[in-house]
Parts: sequence; C-alpha cells; structure tokens
Amino acid sequence: MSPDALLAELGWVIAAAAVALLATRPLRLPPVLVYVAAGLVLGPVTGVIHPSESTHLIGEVGIALLLFLVGLELSPAAIRDVGRNALVIGGVQVAVCTALGALAGHLFGYTVLEALLLGLAVAFSSTVVVVKLLGRLGQLTAPHGRLSVGILLVQDVVVAIVLTLMAGLGSAGNLSTGAVLEGVGRAFGGLAVLVGVAALAARLVLPPLVRWMARAQDAVLVWSLTWCFVFIVAAELLGLSVELGAFMAGLTLAPTVVHGELRRRVQPLADLFLAIFFVVLGAELQPGAAFESLPTVLALIGLVLVAKPLVLGVLSRWAGRLDPRTSTLTASTLGQMSEFSFILAAAAVAAGLVADELVSIIGLAGVVTIGISAALVQSQATLWRRWGPARRAAHDGTSEAGDGDRPARLDHTVVVGMNSLGRRLVEALVARGERVVAVDTDPFKLEGLESETLQGSTDHWSVLTDACVPEARLVVSALRIEDANSLLAYRCCNLGVPVGVHAFDQSVRADLEALGVDYLMDSKREGARRLRDSLIELEVLDG
Amino acid sequence: METLALFLIAAAGGHFAARALGVPSTPLLLVAGFVLGATGLDAGALVQETLVLGVTALLFIAGVELDPRRPQRQLGAAVRVGVGQFLALAALGLGAASLLGWDPLSAAYLGLALSASSTLVVVRILQRRHEMFEPFGRLTVGVLLVQDLLLIALVPVVDRMTDGTAAVALGLAGTAALVVAAWAASRWVSPLLLRLERDGEALLLGVLLQLAAFLLATALLDLPLAVGAFLAGVSLARFPVSAVVRPLLTSLGDFFTALFFTALGVLIGLPTPDEAIQALALVALLLVATPILVTLVGEAAGLAARPAVEAGLLLAQASELSLVVGLLGLERGILSESAFTVLALVTALTMLLTPIVATDRVTVWLLRFHPFRNPGGHAGDLPRRAILLLGAGSTGMPLLAALRRAGRDVIVIDDDPAVLGRAAERGAVVVRGDASSPETLATVADVTLDVVVSTLRRTHDNRRVLAAFPNVPVLVRVFDEQEARWVQAEGGIPVLTSDAAAEAFLDWLAGWDAGERPPGRQSSVSPSTT
Repeated sequence: MSPDALLAELGWVIAAAAVALLATRPLRLPPVLVYVAAGLVLGPVTGVIHPSESTHLIGEVGIALLLFLVGLELSPAAIRDVGRNALVIGGVQVAVCTALGALAGHLFGYTVLEALLLGLAVAFSSTVVVVKLLGRLGQLTAPHGRLSVGILLVQDVVVAIVLTLMAGLGSAGNLSTGAVLEGVGRAFGGLAVLVGVAALAARLVLPPLVRWMARAQDAVLVWSLTWCFVFIVAAELLGLSVELGAFMAGLTLAPTVVHGELRRRVQPLADLFLAIFFVVLGAELQPGAAFESLPTVLALIGLVLVAKPLVLGVLSRWAGRLDPRTSTLTASTLGQMSEFSFILAAAAVAAGLVADELVSIIGLAGVVTIGISAALVQSQATLWRRWGPARRAAHDGTSEAGDGDRPARLDHTVVVGMNSLGRRLVEALVARGERVVAVDTDPFKLEGLESETLQGSTDHWSVLTDACVPEARLVVSALRIEDANSLLAYRCCNLGVPVGVHAFDQSVRADLEALGVDYLMDSKREGARRLRDSLIELEVLDG
Repeated sequence: METLALFLIAAAGGHFAARALGVPSTPLLLVAGFVLGATGLDAGALVQETLVLGVTALLFIAGVELDPRRPQRQLGAAVRVGVGQFLALAALGLGAASLLGWDPLSAAYLGLALSASSTLVVVRILQRRHEMFEPFGRLTVGVLLVQDLLLIALVPVVDRMTDGTAAVALGLAGTAALVVAAWAASRWVSPLLLRLERDGEALLLGVLLQLAAFLLATALLDLPLAVGAFLAGVSLARFPVSAVVRPLLTSLGDFFTALFFTALGVLIGLPTPDEAIQALALVALLLVATPILVTLVGEAAGLAARPAVEAGLLLAQASELSLVVGLLGLERGILSESAFTVLALVTALTMLLTPIVATDRVTVWLLRFHPFRNPGGHAGDLPRRAILLLGAGSTGMPLLAALRRAGRDVIVIDDDPAVLGRAAERGAVVVRGDASSPETLATVADVTLDVVVSTLRRTHDNRRVLAAFPNVPVLVRVFDEQEARWVQAEGGIPVLTSDAAAEAFLDWLAGWDAGERPPGRQSSVSPSTT
C-alpha cells in the first residue's frame, strides 16, 4: 500500500469519526458506539475503506496507550486495595461465564472447541470500552471503577493464557493436559518476570529518568512512550498481551511527579488512535453472516447483558463483601463483550479450529452488547440514585469521584508560574491566611511551597478544572509566556473569574487589556519605582 | 509494533543527546535515525508511511503557529527582512548548486529549500531566553512567518516547473484559492471549535476534520498535500482558537515529529565523503551569508546594529520545511538520493550550530567588524556630574522622568533612536550605542557619576557594565532572585522587579478586598465575602 493511500484511508476514517461524533453530540451517545457505527457505514455499507495493516497497527497502539493511561491513573496502593477482590471475583466470574456460554453453545449444536470459544467470548468484558467510558465520566478512581479495572486486568491475564494456549493448539491440533499446563505456566511465568522487571526498573531506572523528564518538557511524551513501548515489546517477548505490557508501564510511572502531565499529553494521542481503532472495528464487521445465526447471537447477548452482571453482582456482594452500590455498579459496568472476544475468534478461525461464521456471530453480539452497556454505564449513577435503595448515602457520599457535584475547593486563589514573582505571591498570600493553589509545569519549582500545589500547564483545560479555577476567587499568572497568559486570561474572563496577569513587557499589555484582565502586574514599571526608592536609600535622591 | 518501538527508542536517545548537549532535538533525531538505519534495520513500508504522516502533522502544526499578530509593530520590518533574505538566499542557493554541478531543476529545489529558516529551532531558542517579546524577537518571528508563507506559495511552482507555464499558473491559482479558503475558515469556521473547548476528544476530531477537508480540497486541485496541511493549520492560527487547540496538537506534534525525523534519518543513511563536502560548503555559505544579509536588510528596515546581527545569527539555518521540499523533489524523481542527503545534512548541521553561533558572545565579537557601528556619539555637552542610565525602556523612562523632576542631570545610553528621542525630550543627555560595550561607556569616562542604573536584560551585558564601573554604585534591574544573587556577588546592587510587582499587586488586592471594585471590568464575583 502506498503511503498516500494510507493518508487517504486515515482521512476517511477520521473524517467519518469526526462527523459522526459532532453530529450526534446533542444526543450524548457514547463515542465508542458512534465510532463503530461510523465504521459500519464506511465498511460494510458503502465499502469506502478496506482497513490496511497500518491502520490496524495504529488501532493497536491506541489500545496500548489507553491501558498505559489506565496504569497512570492507578497507584500501586489502589491496586493492592482491590487486588484480592478483583482476583477472586474476576477468576470465578470468568470460569462461571465460560461454562454458561459453553453450555449454550453446546445446546445450539456447536463443537466442543466452538462452544468453548463462545463461552470465553461471553466471559470477557471490554477494557477499552469500560476504561474510556469511566474515564469520561470521571469514575475510574471511584470504588466500582477501581474494582472494574481490577477485574478487567484479571481477565486480561486469562486472555494472555488462552492466546498462548491457542498458539500451541494451532500447531499441535489437540488439547493435551501437558499443552494446557505449559500454556498456563508460560503465561504466569511471563507475568512474574514482567512484574519483577517493572518493580526493579521503577526502583533503579525511573528516579533519575523522571527528574530529567520533569525538566525536559519537549521530550516528556517521547520518553514516556518509549518507556511504554519497551514494556510492550517485553510483554510480547514473554508471550503476554500488549495491553498488559502497556498497563505495567503506566503503573510504574503512576507514583512519579510527572504522571499528571503525562496523562494530559498522552490523552489526545490515545483519543485519536482509539477512534481509528473503533471505526476500523466497525468497518470490518460482517453483519450479514451473523443474521443467519440469529438465535445464537441473541443467546449470547442475553448471557452477556443479564447472566454476566448477575454473576458479577452476586460475587461482589457475597464473596467481595462490598456494599450494594459498588456491587451493582461494578456488575452493570462489565456487561459487554470484549474486543478480545473478536481477536480470539479471529485467531481460532485462522488456526482452523472453528467455523468462519463464529467471527461474525461474536462480532455482532459484541457490538450490540457494547452499545447497550455503554448507554447503561453512562446513566447508571443517575439510575442508582433514583431507583437504588435509599440507605446508600450512609456508605459513600463524598468519597465518590465523578458524580459528586461539590467542587474540592472554593474561594481560593490560583497562582500560575513559580518564578520569583509567583513564589513571592504565594508566600505573601499564604501569610495572609488565604487558600492558595500554586501551579507550574516543573514539579521541582513547586517544592518547598506551603500552599497546595498542582503540576501541569494551564494551556490544558483539565489543569484549570483540577485547580478548580471556575470556583476560584482570583487567578494570578506570573508567567513570562505570552500565549499561555493570553489563553489563561481569555478563559478566566469567559468564566467570570477575576484574573491578574504579569505584563512582563509593554507589547503584551494591549492584548491582555482587550481581553478584560482585572489587574496587570507591570514588573518593569514597578521596577522603576523600586529603583527610585533604592536611589533615595543611597542618598542620591531626596525622598 | 517492534519497529515502532525501535523508532521511539532511537528518538528518545536523540532527545536525550540533544538535552545533554544543549542543542535542538531535530538534528539529533536525524542522527538517531542514521544510527538506526546503519544497524541494517528492515523497516519496510513503515518509513515511507511515517514520513507522509509526519510531514502532514509537521506542516499542519507549523501552520497553526502562523499567527499574524505575533510580530506586532515589527510586521513591516519583518516583511522586508523576510522577503529580502528569502530571495537572496534562494539566489545564492541556486548559484551554489550550479557551482557544485547540480542540474538546474535540482538547483531550483535546493535554492527554495535553503531560503527559509527554521521556526522550530528559532522559536524554541527565543522562548528559552525569554526574548520572544523583545523587538528583535518579534522581528525574527515575523521573518519566519513571511518565509514559511513564501515557501509554501512557491512549492506548487517548483512542483509543476516541468509541466509548462499554464500548469504553474493553475497551481498558483489553486494555492491562492486555498489561501482564501484558509482565511475564510479562520473567520467563520474555526471559532465554532471553541464550543468544544471542554471536550478534548470532540475538539481534537473537529480540528482533524478541518485538516481532512483541506487535504481533500488539495487533492482535488492536484496540489502537493503539504500545501493543504499547512494552510489547514493557518486556518486555525488566530487567537483564541490557536491557543485552545495547541495543547492537543503539541502531543500529536511531539509524537509525529520524533518519528518523522528518525524515519528520515533511517531513509537517508550515512553520507559519502563527496556528499559531506558538498554539505559543508553549503553550511558555510548559510552561516556566512545569512547574518550579513539579515544585518544589511534589517538595518535598512530601521533596526539597530546589535539586534540586526542577533536576528541574522538566529536565522542562519535551514528549515524543517527544507526537508519537506527535498522530500517532494525526491518523490517527483527530480532530486537524486544523493542530493537529498546533502540537503538533509545541511539542515541538520545548521540547526545544530545555531545555539552555538547565536550567542551574546558571538554577537559582540561580530559587532567589532561592523563598519557603521555607532561610535557612541552624543548630542549636546556632557554634564560634569550625572546619573548614568543604561537602557530607557519601560523601566528606564519613568525613572528618567522622576530623576529629572528631582532636578538631576541624567545621561541615557541606548541603541534605539526612537527611545533616545523620547529621552532627549525629557531632558536627558543621550548617547547612542550599545550600552554594554566598553567603547560606548568610554564616552562618559570624564563625567563624575553618582550612580549607574542598568536596565539591561542580559547577564552578559551586565557583567561588562559591572566591570566597567568598579568604583561607582551600580544598580542592576533584575527579575529573578537567582540573578539578584549573581549581581550581588559581582559587586552590584540588585533591584528585584518581581518583588516590586508582587508588592504592588498585594496592595491592589488589599484595596479590592476592602471593597473597591476591580479596575477595568465589573466582576460578578465578590471576593470580599471570604
């Protein structure tokens, strides 16, 4: 394929995704669903694109980046927190759901291997869809969010085992106990090695690297992506999934000072590549073949939407001893099929183990369940609030991220840019007893301040919300960066938050005044006053 | 995935080396690519695909940076300097290529490629030195803007040179149509993106939709896609759209730029001795010709000697767009691989040399050879006893007024005639010249100085001033505490403007809290309730 053809293909994919997303914005549909629908139009309906290997690679990178982001969000403490529950609930759930699915497959008259594949397809939930949805809703760090991600990761490990097994089966063609044991051993061995390497790297390599990255803003993205890809390649070498590698890479970076900045920088790339992934996914579906086996498809959908959440809910409530809200939300969050279900089916077909039609069946059931569950996840918090038992308030309440409406701060002052001026302002405001949030891109410039601190560039909208700028009583920028100051001033003025900006040069005054800035700190003119005072002190001038 | 990982590892290595050596990352990314290519990596189609995606991303983002408001009052001068440098360098490049024995078409490509300077490199240096807003910084940014536009306008011309005049004219007409479309989009379409400001994903896709639309139009007009990508960027270049989309595009830009330059390095491979010699000759040409040209045109456009030389040194490199032009020539089969290698080498080397060449030290050294350097002449008699004020900008001028009100004699040294005119109006004796050069300072050697006040910004200049007046108290205006400590250690008296600004701000805030409304805008928020 010629490079220009790739550009054309990407052009179509992105344009379709963008048009679909922007056109359906008033409906507030989950983007995942919109992208798959756009893909259906581009692929099976109109035949405009036939996804190439390169677009697949981009999609794969998108998934990796998403898992990298998940790792970045979670701290090892949070993992330990839900680790045991996730292991128990996830493990039992996968076993039970696989059995249920396989039973259904057997009843529909499929072979043992085909039935098993259908069972696995039911058991796995979609890491990509869930993380993307929860991330958008700000629920990733909520109790049900953390548990869901934990269970998804347990499922990922099972996927890795199954994929390893399948590779062995393809060549051997039989399911001997030795092969199974070898596959399981390899997957767990690989995981142990990866975790060991990650822990070692986090201790030895990372600290100097992070110190360096924090000061080299241009290189932060490339360095962190390199870190991510090294883990991915290592995971691949160990026979594990790309996702697990990327997740481990993110996890090692999560406790470092740069994690917030990394998240903000990786997010746009992940958004773009994932949009491509989902459009391509939609473009490759063959709904025609699946309609011929409609009963199987409907049975799968029923199992995924009803049986799986039930199993999960019961396990969380009784085995995990979790409160009803967390149990219910976790269960409904995971009620869809995974992209791995497709990948597994495709791999099984390629190895000649099962009939071709299974890919389409699983594909259709997958898209339908993803669509329905996405809509459900989006509204589940509201549904729970309205229909759930009233006593839930005693359990959570304020600890719930995402659907709490109360801001974390109110009537505070945000000071941006920790140069001499910014630090001086923070010190003085803190001394006056004010609540101050100091913001800078360099975490080392935030050290030793007595105020709250936030690392990041105010060019990112999310930094403004993290600093609760809309609720602030005043925002002050000491930066000597024209564009950053103008953007901050523009946004604050739109929000109606009073803003003072450092006018470090006469040439920047006019624009800032036009934006409606409340106060201009004219360091040069004030410097003249200070110089005159110094001359008086030197007795060159009379007071 | 593995190849991509290797590219990223190479790019990370390039970034690391750039940081360690204190040079721009672009050339070292190329070098990392050379190294990767030399290991015999079989990257296959990935190199080609990365290059196409990379060029598109690079030009799109370059376009977004093209905010016509940046040069402010320096726009007129920037146009003159930009066009002058562009034409002269294109002619020189053409001549040099002919001398090196290149065919006329290749020479035309080389001429065009060498005529612009690198926005990536120069803007980064200006930002790091906090010089973006200095008059010469704004001038330099303006020059880059003019050159980028000229280069993009001429790409379709060289692209169609072999197809006859009619094709060239059609190409120009198509480009003009796209420029109009970009202008119209920047007025009426791009502002709609601001509604998506809080939804990063939708904003990103909206921005890329605009890019896709421009690319489609470019393809329909049969123009090089690079032109469309660049103009799509230009359609987003107006504030506040540009500022809102920049963080998103920076991520994509960092990623694709790193991959692009690394892939380019893999593509080129190691140069032969002959290619290296040709490249060195062209590097020498750029390094010598650019500062001279820019200084000449710049002074004709009203710049003082020193900023003109500084701008000249800063602009002495080939551009990332040079590589784009080269790639286009390569793709059309006009530039040989060898010629492209030479071009890439010139670009990498000149970019590497810029931070080494464009320093205060080199500027000061070069000024010694400046034939029309101002000798430090002054109008009117020098007083016997005075206060010496170095630099009369936004700090110097109000101070001068206060000193004159107190009835003191003041001598002002500055190199900007307009500033000196205003100082003279306020009753100062003015000396035109570089306020830190010992020769200029020697003009006031016979005057008894009560005190010297320096509002010069550069550490290097203040060091020379402090050395020139060991027995007179020297007040030095500084912004940061680190500079203040340094001035103190050198025997000067630092005056911290950051401190002064903070104090004034706190006074304002106290007044506001006491119930006064903020000046300028009526705020709906009442902070005094806390």
